[in-house]
Amino acid sequence: MYQALNRGIGWLARGIAILGGLVLIVLIVMTSLSITGRALIFLGLGPVKGDFELVEAGVAFAVFAFMPWCQYNRGHARVDLFQPVFGAFLNKLIDLIADVMMFVAAYVIAWRLYLGMIDKLNYRETTFILQFEIWWSYAASFVGAAAFVLVSAFCILRSLRALLGKPTDVTA
Amino acid sequence: MSNIEIGLWSFPVLLLLIFIRIPIGLAMMAVGFGGTWMVFGSTLMTMGQLKHLTYGTFSNYSLSIVPLFLLMGQFATLSGMSKGLFKAAEAWLGHRKGGVAMSAIGACAGFGAICGSSLATAATMGQVALPELRRYGYSGPLATGTLAAGGTLGILIPPSVILVIYAILTEQNIAKLFVAAFIPGILAAIAYMLVIAIYVRVVPGSGDALEPVPYRERFKALFHVWPVILIFLAVVGGIYAGIFTPTEAAAVGAAGTGLVALASGGLNWHKIVNSVLTTANSTAMIFLIVLGAGMFNSFLALTQLPQTAAAWVTEQGFSPWSVLFFVLVLYLVFGCVMDSLSMVLLTVPIFFPIMTSLDFGMGTEEFALWFGIIVLIVVEVGLITPPVGMNLFVINTMARDIPISQTFRGTAPFVLADIIRVAILAMFPSITLALVWAIY
Repeated sequence: MYQALNRGIGWLARGIAILGGLVLIVLIVMTSLSITGRALIFLGLGPVKGDFELVEAGVAFAVFAFMPWCQYNRGHARVDLFQPVFGAFLNKLIDLIADVMMFVAAYVIAWRLYLGMIDKLNYRETTFILQFEIWWSYAASFVGAAAFVLVSAFCILRSLRALLGKPTDVTA
Repeated sequence: MSNIEIGLWSFPVLLLLIFIRIPIGLAMMAVGFGGTWMVFGSTLMTMGQLKHLTYGTFSNYSLSIVPLFLLMGQFATLSGMSKGLFKAAEAWLGHRKGGVAMSAIGACAGFGAICGSSLATAATMGQVALPELRRYGYSGPLATGTLAAGGTLGILIPPSVILVIYAILTEQNIAKLFVAAFIPGILAAIAYMLVIAIYVRVVPGSGDALEPVPYRERFKALFHVWPVILIFLAVVGGIYAGIFTPTEAAAVGAAGTGLVALASGGLNWHKIVNSVLTTANSTAMIFLIVLGAGMFNSFLALTQLPQTAAAWVTEQGFSPWSVLFFVLVLYLVFGCVMDSLSMVLLTVPIFFPIMTSLDFGMGTEEFALWFGIIVLIVVEVGLITPPVGMNLFVINTMARDIPISQTFRGTAPFVLADIIRVAILAMFPSITLALVWAIY
């Protein structure tokens, strides 16, 4: 049961990070085309309209989409200086505390992002050039934020199992 | 407790959390949140801000340069350009005593011009240069020390992710910071080569010379690195000339390295996924720290601690240079245990106002550029000092037969060279600023 869950969460974190990466690659291509268009303006070409706004919305989506993977992958920067001193039990306990804290942070971030989205939706705020509604970008980012909450919740379970001495990683 | 006291107490609490291995960004977030709560007596304001703070930070146009540069570096590692750079450097430097190690430094410098991350530079050049160094009988400590130190050139030579963050924190022009980093970066490469030249003479048999390569071959080897030169010129030149914004330049650079990787056959679906996942991991790590530092720093601003500290330091009438000395030593010490980006994000908002309130005999902008470069170098020293120098461990995983204690020993002369270089750059600000004056 746990192994299936681990696989599923790993798949989710990976999948959504790859999606974010693909958006990043699309932005790179779009920006390069936009610059080329701007340079060749005498040929009747032009920059991509609203390229700044697309970059902002796209990168926000990508960064939110990267959060679950980093948490699943235990990728966040931390100071390991005293790790050897603490001993196995204390280290596992700290891992658990850190994962609970991360879950709270992820939950607050997602919850507040959702309320922020409702704000933008109510005011019908749009971007300056493309006039697309800002709440769309919030909604897209919310996908990553929600996955971040799920993955962080799973990580609590994972650390708890480690603390109780049960196997935590998929052995396949 | 007064607000200032809350501000002061937040530091031991934050350090405690960080040192018991709570992720740094998360610790800053928690202390920032808790501190603001104590100052206001309610969480209302923070909760209100959080509705738009996270999205605002993640969609910040200037910060969007970070994932783009990271992906550019990932593509660069797959492009095979590291091999070409090493071969070219070897053709020109290999015939000297210790020449293969010098070539590795030269190649790291070249790779740093298309990659903004130290770890990626150390890892990529390590893959190419370590086997060669061993093949020519270079000693273990020299080989690993060279590559760990050479990796730091990745972040010193523009583009550089940390400089981008510094520019945003201190509201400086990114292009000018990149210009300012250029001469110190070249100096670093030269200093490392000098270290190698001395090392191989002090420790006989640690590194030999190869047969000289005819000049025709040398130019041919140099010709093969044209994509690196082209991408560097497009990215850095494009920013200077004002043709595009730094974010656009990063996109162009990523497209460039991506195309070279594609052309060299280094990109398939599996490798693209790996590049994306590595980028995802680093990006998420950096943005969590940026978000946490933002919350912590706005809490500190509320307590008025940075302004009070700056006023206090000026009142004491300390000499500016002794304050600078103290700050740099602090960075060196903390650099041994903390990662460079967190350190910059945590300390620059506090130190920068203090330092700018002191008179170093130069304009505010000049000071900001010079200070930024010096800070960048001292925090990078932390990457190659024990106990948690990341570059050392990256190289160590690639050369399992060389014990980490030997790598520590091999890196020591490079660390010494770094400290001397920082002292020289601190004493003569014009070295850093000369190119900025010349261009702007």
